[in-house]
Amino acid sequence: MTLKQKLLTVWVFFGINFKRLFRDKTALFFTFLFPLIFLFVFGGLNGGGSDISFKVAIINDSQSKFANQFTSEIQKEGKILKVDDSITNIEKANQKMARGELDATIELPANFGDIQQGKGYPSGQAIVHYTQNSQQAAQALTSILEAQFKGINSKLVKSETPFTVKAEQNNERSLSSFDYTFAGLLGFAILGSGIFGPMNIFPELKKMGILRRLHTTPLRVWQYFLSIMLGNAVIGLLSLGIMFAVAVSVFHLKVVGNPFALAAFLVFGIIMILGIGLALGGWAKNERQVAPLANIIVFPMMFLSGTFFPRFLMPEWLQNITGFMPLTPVIDGARLIATEGKTLVDIAPQLGVMAVWLVLIYIIAFRVFRWE
Amino acid sequence: MAYMANSDYILEVKNLQKSYDGKKAVDGISFSVKKGEIFGILGPNGAGKTTTLEMIETLRTIDGGSATIDGVDVAQHPYDIRGMIGVQPQTPGFQDKTKLSELISMFSAAYGEKVDPKKFLDEVNLGDKADSYVENLSGGQKQRFSIITALVHNPKVFFLDEPTTGLDPQARRNLWELIEEVRDRGISVILTTHYMDEAEVLCDRIAIMDAGKIIALDTPKKLIKDLLARGFTKDQHVEQANLEDVFIDMTGKGLRA
Repeated sequence: MTLKQKLLTVWVFFGINFKRLFRDKTALFFTFLFPLIFLFVFGGLNGGGSDISFKVAIINDSQSKFANQFTSEIQKEGKILKVDDSITNIEKANQKMARGELDATIELPANFGDIQQGKGYPSGQAIVHYTQNSQQAAQALTSILEAQFKGINSKLVKSETPFTVKAEQNNERSLSSFDYTFAGLLGFAILGSGIFGPMNIFPELKKMGILRRLHTTPLRVWQYFLSIMLGNAVIGLLSLGIMFAVAVSVFHLKVVGNPFALAAFLVFGIIMILGIGLALGGWAKNERQVAPLANIIVFPMMFLSGTFFPRFLMPEWLQNITGFMPLTPVIDGARLIATEGKTLVDIAPQLGVMAVWLVLIYIIAFRVFRWE
Repeated sequence: MAYMANSDYILEVKNLQKSYDGKKAVDGISFSVKKGEIFGILGPNGAGKTTTLEMIETLRTIDGGSATIDGVDVAQHPYDIRGMIGVQPQTPGFQDKTKLSELISMFSAAYGEKVDPKKFLDEVNLGDKADSYVENLSGGQKQRFSIITALVHNPKVFFLDEPTTGLDPQARRNLWELIEEVRDRGISVILTTHYMDEAEVLCDRIAIMDAGKIIALDTPKKLIKDLLARGFTKDQHVEQANLEDVFIDMTGKGLRA
């Protein structure tokens, strides 16, 4: 058989199985509707604005006793204001705000709390820095500070307001938490179709002797795998495309990256994750055999790769470990391209991790495959 | 002498062996199948019939001995062999929600060929079912369909593993006719069966296997003659008809559903 004939085989298998999907209502539901349900549930949770605490940083440039006292008061408060102690300068604060990890920054300028000449009490102006996406947080924070200052002011002097607050927008668009949620849901959809699909179908095909029958033909494993990879890539791209359409139109997701780079990246991710499903399903003789192993592999990825919880919420050591899980670079890369407008060159580290996994996973998948 | 014989035989099996956990499932059997004959392998369950077939079909590794099809060694060129044989498994399974015409296309594609599905379906009276799914076929229809999917690439040898198990008498007879048609096309047929009447009607030669060995090999007529020559007699007198003849006479030969 020539290579052209062999590829024709792949094409025929892909074409017929692609048509077949649209006759299978259960498969259609899990491929297209199921991820959308998650999107609406998680998107709705984020849009509700139920978050009543704000993540803030305090940058205290003043040496005055008052400023130090004020800072420690805010750090102690801890209920509405969660203070990130690791941030000590405005550059770092801006970075974190841009990533949506911080809602606002309170800056106490150098002269804050100094006693001005001719006056018997300290005065100053605190600055609240925020981004386009954290206006609500900044407003709330400003009024909280205002209320605090009012109390202090009235104790110090009746006629003047020595302490005031001023809000300043840094005019940058930052990532909303929905951007993280959405990237996570993309990862969840890729995980679902790539792993649970073959994991359930292959043992069924083996039980019915369908793979065994194919084994009596000259069909090679790579031809069979390639037809499935092609199918999953096309169907996955369709499904993720619908998710993007809904996210943009309903949840105001702003996609700033190159759509072709994004599509190419997603196909890479889909095929890499599919390899795990091919390995599990190809190895398993029946459903019962594959379930425990699949859970061991899938659940850590589901919860630690940033599918439902953004990874920046994790302790740093855990972030470092989970960064090397197969799904993590897929989710991070999709977010970096889609909502941060990064190019494929920018996300070379993610692509590198994915390439290593791709090779490793498919070596295993080809080794453990059984026709019956 | 041996070279002369080569051209007459499509399949040659020499001292074929297979063990599972130290137990010999196939214990050094040898036989040859002539071009254009229907060859039956008979034997009780566990005799090693299916294992023998699966080794020749390249599905099982061969522990010892050799098998060649049309001069091609099975163990050394499994992919070439797969292109030369058609296989009808014991329980033919096909993926659901796929049209018969599509399945024909898939199988011919697996052999690297492009065919007109309708032509093949017509051959087994399933032309009007081209757009049906396999799950909507009856047992007999499924068997006929399975046979045609194994012949899309015009193989030299056709293997059937217990093809008529579970079929009604009409479907069985229809399948026998079909297998004879396949043979008449010049394709050698090798089948296993539990049914002696089937072997007697259908097979040109049979091998009887027991405990991994071939204990007899000849035409059905010769084997019966040999038995009678050994002085065997039946207790009861022979009826001119049996119950199956009654059944077929009353319900007809027409194929059902």
